[in-house]
Amino acid sequence: MNEVKHRKLKISVLRYNPQDPESVPHMQTYELEEADGMTLFIALNEIREKLDPSLQFDYVCRAGICGSCAMLVNGRPALTCRQLTKDLGDEFTLAPLPVFELIGDLSVNTGKWMRGMSERLETWVHAKEQEIDLRRIEEPMDPELAEKLYEVDRCIECGCCVAGCGTARMREDFVGAVGLNKIARFKIDPRDTRSDDDFYELVGDDDGVFGCMSLLGCHDVCPKQLPLQTQIAYVRRKMVAMAFS
Amino acid sequence: MRVIYTDVLVIGAGLAGQRVAIAAKRRGHDTIILSLVPPKRSHSAAAMGGMQASLANVIKGQGDNEDIHFGDTVRGSDWGADQDVVRMFVNTSPKAVRELAAWGVPWSRVRKGDRQVIINGEKVTITERDEAHGLLAQRDFGGTKKWRTCYVSDGTGHSMLFVVSDHVIAEGIPVHERTEALALIHDGSRCHGAVVRNLITGELVAYIAKATTIATGGAGRVYRVTTNAVICEGTGMALALETGAAALGNMEAVQFHPTPIFPAAILLTEGARGDGGLLRDVDGHRFMPDYEPEKKELASRDVVSRRIEEHIRKGKGARSRFGEHVWLDITLLGEHHIKHNLREVYEIAKYFNGVDPVKEWIPIRPGQHYTMGGIRTKPTGESPTLKGLFAAGEAACWDMHGFNRLGGNSVAETVVAGMIVGEFVADFCDRTENDLDVSTGLIREFVAREQAKIDDLLHGKGTEDATRLRSRMQDLMTDKVGIFRTGAELESAVAELEELLKKSRNLGVRSKSTGSNPELVTAYRTQKMLKVALAIAYGALTRTESRGAHFRVDHPRRDDAQWLKRTLATWKDETASLPTLEYEQLDVKKMELPPGWRGYGAKDYIDHPDTSKRQAEVDEIRTKMEGADRFAVQDALMPYEHLLPERLRGRNERIDERLPL
Amino acid sequence: MNRTLEVIAGSDLVERPRRSRWPARLDYLQSASGLVLALFMWAHMGFVSSILFGKNALWVVARTFEGYYFFGHRYPVIVSIAAAVVLALVIGHAALAVRKFPINYRQFRTFRGHMAMMRHGDTSLWFAQVVTGFALFFLASVHLYIIMSNPGKIGPYESSFRVWDQHLWPLYLLLLLAVEFHGGIGLYRLSVKWNWFGGSNPDEARHGLKVLKWAITVFFLAIGLATLATFIKIGITAHPIYGERYVPTWQQDALPGHGGQAAPVAGQPATTSQAGGAQ
Ligand SMILES: Cc1cc2nc3c(=O)[nH]c(=O)nc-3n(C[C@H](O)[C@H](O)[C@H](O)COP(=O)(O)OP(=O)(O)OC[C@H]3O[C@@H](n4cnc5c(N)ncnc54)[C@H](O)[C@@H]3O)c2cc1C
Ligand code: HEM
Ligand code: HEM
Ligand code: SF4
Ligand code: F3S
Ligand code: FES
Repeated sequence: MNEVKHRKLKISVLRYNPQDPESVPHMQTYELEEADGMTLFIALNEIREKLDPSLQFDYVCRAGICGSCAMLVNGRPALTCRQLTKDLGDEFTLAPLPVFELIGDLSVNTGKWMRGMSERLETWVHAKEQEIDLRRIEEPMDPELAEKLYEVDRCIECGCCVAGCGTARMREDFVGAVGLNKIARFKIDPRDTRSDDDFYELVGDDDGVFGCMSLLGCHDVCPKQLPLQTQIAYVRRKMVAMAFS
Repeated sequence: MRVIYTDVLVIGAGLAGQRVAIAAKRRGHDTIILSLVPPKRSHSAAAMGGMQASLANVIKGQGDNEDIHFGDTVRGSDWGADQDVVRMFVNTSPKAVRELAAWGVPWSRVRKGDRQVIINGEKVTITERDEAHGLLAQRDFGGTKKWRTCYVSDGTGHSMLFVVSDHVIAEGIPVHERTEALALIHDGSRCHGAVVRNLITGELVAYIAKATTIATGGAGRVYRVTTNAVICEGTGMALALETGAAALGNMEAVQFHPTPIFPAAILLTEGARGDGGLLRDVDGHRFMPDYEPEKKELASRDVVSRRIEEHIRKGKGARSRFGEHVWLDITLLGEHHIKHNLREVYEIAKYFNGVDPVKEWIPIRPGQHYTMGGIRTKPTGESPTLKGLFAAGEAACWDMHGFNRLGGNSVAETVVAGMIVGEFVADFCDRTENDLDVSTGLIREFVAREQAKIDDLLHGKGTEDATRLRSRMQDLMTDKVGIFRTGAELESAVAELEELLKKSRNLGVRSKSTGSNPELVTAYRTQKMLKVALAIAYGALTRTESRGAHFRVDHPRRDDAQWLKRTLATWKDETASLPTLEYEQLDVKKMELPPGWRGYGAKDYIDHPDTSKRQAEVDEIRTKMEGADRFAVQDALMPYEHLLPERLRGRNERIDERLPL
Repeated sequence: MNRTLEVIAGSDLVERPRRSRWPARLDYLQSASGLVLALFMWAHMGFVSSILFGKNALWVVARTFEGYYFFGHRYPVIVSIAAAVVLALVIGHAALAVRKFPINYRQFRTFRGHMAMMRHGDTSLWFAQVVTGFALFFLASVHLYIIMSNPGKIGPYESSFRVWDQHLWPLYLLLLLAVEFHGGIGLYRLSVKWNWFGGSNPDEARHGLKVLKWAITVFFLAIGLATLATFIKIGITAHPIYGERYVPTWQQDALPGHGGQAAPVAGQPATTSQAGGAQ
């Protein structure tokens, strides 16, 4: 249709390849012409294709559902595949998420961290399934409860909440909002046979829920808008109630 | 050279791969999963709509059972499916969904009493039964007679994938993330594992296993416009193809979805049209009633996709810098409905196009969506030609989708196949004759060969640019091997793809890093993708009929007489520029449901000579057994239960079909 | 197999050794002590700002706390004890809260960097709370020590002399700023931490709480500054009679020459005070 004049974008990217002993962290600026409906996914791919084939970053679904592409955009964690460039200034910076192991440039190993978190918090429904006969009609569940469960099950393990949390940045072993949200999720799931006692074992210390200082960075950057503030408060209350009972 | 030994190697950590791994591990076999990305990022997470299982809990699903699901699936496949496999599938799917319910998937549940739903754009009140309260709910999906699709709000695949991935963690199964299988290690008749590249360090490692399972998902990225994730490049299929022994089945069967958003091609759910959304052209005219006066926007996926393309070809598309498209108009549904019932449509439009669908129309255009074809296997999941190689999920063709898969049948397939194939993998490993027996020389040879290819890309004299070859391939596939196919276009596509393949043997890369190196990855994957693309295009060129999603403008009829057969593509000679095509006849005489009219689309097809005979036989058995229970009738028509692993046999209970206590 | 079905089903969980309950209790106590202190500060402000209603008002408040109206005699030791209790509370609270401080320079630097990058309100508020809390630890201790070690010397003149003639006003100014910010932020954070007023829309509630928090801080700062100004003014005007005690107007007739006695301190000979005073 009508050819509008497009902005020149100046994108500064934190470059560093820990694999390469010669490499030192530095900012590199790329200039790029903006396009209609350009997302950072499109922009970075264009940079890689036209300007710098060595630039590392991770996209999988490019649709905002898989959690691969979180980065710091102007210092704040965000899913970049759904970040339209038109919502950013002419110049902006991209950096890899902190906390997670750096693979190179904008690519970090969130998967490894999340697996560690899952192993530590045992993020699965603990139930004796040998007793379940798959041929039989399933256990009923209250429809509202099912909806409530899904509401908090929506976490995509993107790591934004961890990178956006000052506590997680200061203290390596802090479980982060993602982990606390999972505890809340399994706690309200009637299929999980674990008691409050058992959950206390998982998060009842200063690396767990009591390490959280209610900074709420997690809540405010979560791209899935999970109710992290209330989830963490819920876990905290339950764990404290348990300790005094 | 590092070698890792295990009992079971699973390549791919989507729903299918992880479920196979769980089954094998539970039977006591050491299992390792490989994945390009962390398992929870696999593309299975993208399935929003749901998973088909004939539970018959909701009132609109009442009366549903395996028989009806079977019929829908076979008709959907346009009789391309293997009916034994479909039977195995429809009987296991309720068990799979119930297993996932027990594992923690927060399936949406039935609420008793009245509720308002939109059916064909009209508000209707339906009343759910008291005894169904709290059981898994089902929704309507295209091509099904009953409401059969179980769902988790708008995130079915996500919740399923997370629960299954967490179960893998519970079982303590290691997942080697950010690794990529580059080649299968085999001796021409037995598969021994794979050569695997660590995508962070670049190291090549040999994984040696009794059984190797490929569950690498679809191949959407050989197209330019696709709803698939960027990692759905079909390289897993290429692994099998490159053995020269294993075959790919029905690669020309590619499904297109009518309403991905334009230009990003992110899928907008069918619900948008189901709830009353309209398609409009450049003039704002609602054009679907002109083509399909009866079903309008709600005709089946392939029909709507074709009509949109047809309309655009007539010059009625809206134009933008990225090309032409039409509009999806859901403004008439109102703000509340859009923000609550179609939340993800709202969000996608907002985030990816900056469009507010409450007030504005959304640009859409059909795009590649699903790969029906894949690695040909027996109903056990094992390759008939390469022992020890299994495949499951979208990467496989055990063949339950034939030429068109139904919405909701593919995530169901992933877990069902995972359960079934997983048991067979375990059986295979149980047998002592399948113990590891591989020479280190063979391992070394395969690793050295892969290393040489990489070294050649990094330091060879190649000059071709992989990105350019790849985008040309994607354009060719989208423009000439897309929704409408003609002999002439296919011929030119195949010819040019062959050229591209030859050029791809002369690739060079600029960044020389041996570790994490995106350019290098693009290069060697492009070589593999071209082979897969050729299998699709050449298969499409050769198949001179229209069946399911494969639509030949120059051969618009389904031709059972000649084409009731499965395409098998192999790549016997590494230097060849085309796959070898062979055909496997489908046996009408054994079919429970002999070929006929699908119930929608054109009623115009050429019968197979055996069809009428078989139909008469089937009719006779049915009349003779009038009044007998449906299981007995089914067993008389086409016994299949012996094909299932023992622990997955047995009937499924329903509200109206109680099992004895 | 490195995992048994028991682990997956969790049926071995009860046999695992149990963790200490103390982290939970400490977290609770940290909040509880903070809450008590914050509420105490509201009350404290109420009492001290009575000076805004005139010297008599503060005199009455001060005597009340010395038990004068209950026992007929002043027992300043009550105030000293109260101050000691509050000091203990402050120390206890500080000891609990200090666990959250960055424990080394690296952590401190990381947090500062994080805060600068994120430009996120609540993250910055926490840092403000740490800084003010740190300041309070010294300021509040000094103040409490002074209150404790000067039994009976609370009153319109006595306090004003301390503020002005003994040059404590800078300390009070800093203390006031620190405590109002610290307490206000603290209460806001308490309510989000425990989700007290979340209701059905916690995000909206949080926004409301934040507005309320600022309103409260401004309100108390205003009163506090006015109070401090009043002390200073009295201190300046009463400078010539430095060291004298204030006698409420209705008792001024009873002074020597008028044949009366100011409120007596238990066990001490009644001190007399000269009448009047500037004003
Ligand atoms: C947008 C969208 C929506 C959909 N909605 C529905 C729906 O509502 N209902 C439905 O039934 N179906 C739906 N489908 C289809 C369905 O989601 C997929 O067919 C299914 O999830 C595929 O699962 P999979 O396990 O076979 O593969 P995937 O989930 O794609 O997993 C593939 C795995 O293989 C790994 N891998 C690939 N190559 C290699 C290699 N060389 N080496 C190592 N690892 C490798 C990847 O890392 C990944 O872990 C949808 C598909 C799309 C694209
Ligand atoms: C004297 C008056 C004080 C008052 C009214 C007060 C009040 C509060 C309140 C209400 C909280 C919130 C508690 C929570 O989040 O759990 C709090 C937290 C805190 N206080 Fe105080 N406090 C006082 C003194 C101090 C002192 C002297 C220190 C310094 C060492 C201090 C340091 C902190 C810190 C660091 C926190 C944050 C703890 C966290 O985020 O978990 N406070 N305070
Ligand atoms: C039982 C304990 C306390 C008593 C009896 C007490 C008493 C007083 C008195 C009498 C004054 C007036 C000035 C003076 O006489 O010196 C005063 C002022 C003040 N006190 Fe306290 N105090 C107590 C605890 C605290 C605590 C814990 C804090 C803060 C951490 C605090 C902060 C202040 C401030 C900021 C002022 C100056 C107020 C102003 O002028 O606006 N006090 N206090
Ligand atoms: S809680 Fe939100 S921010 Fe954190 S990992 Fe999950 S989706 Fe990402
Ligand atoms: S940002 Fe961090 S401190 Fe707690 S509230 Fe969120 S986890
Ligand atoms: S790429 Fe999947 S969320 Fe961005």
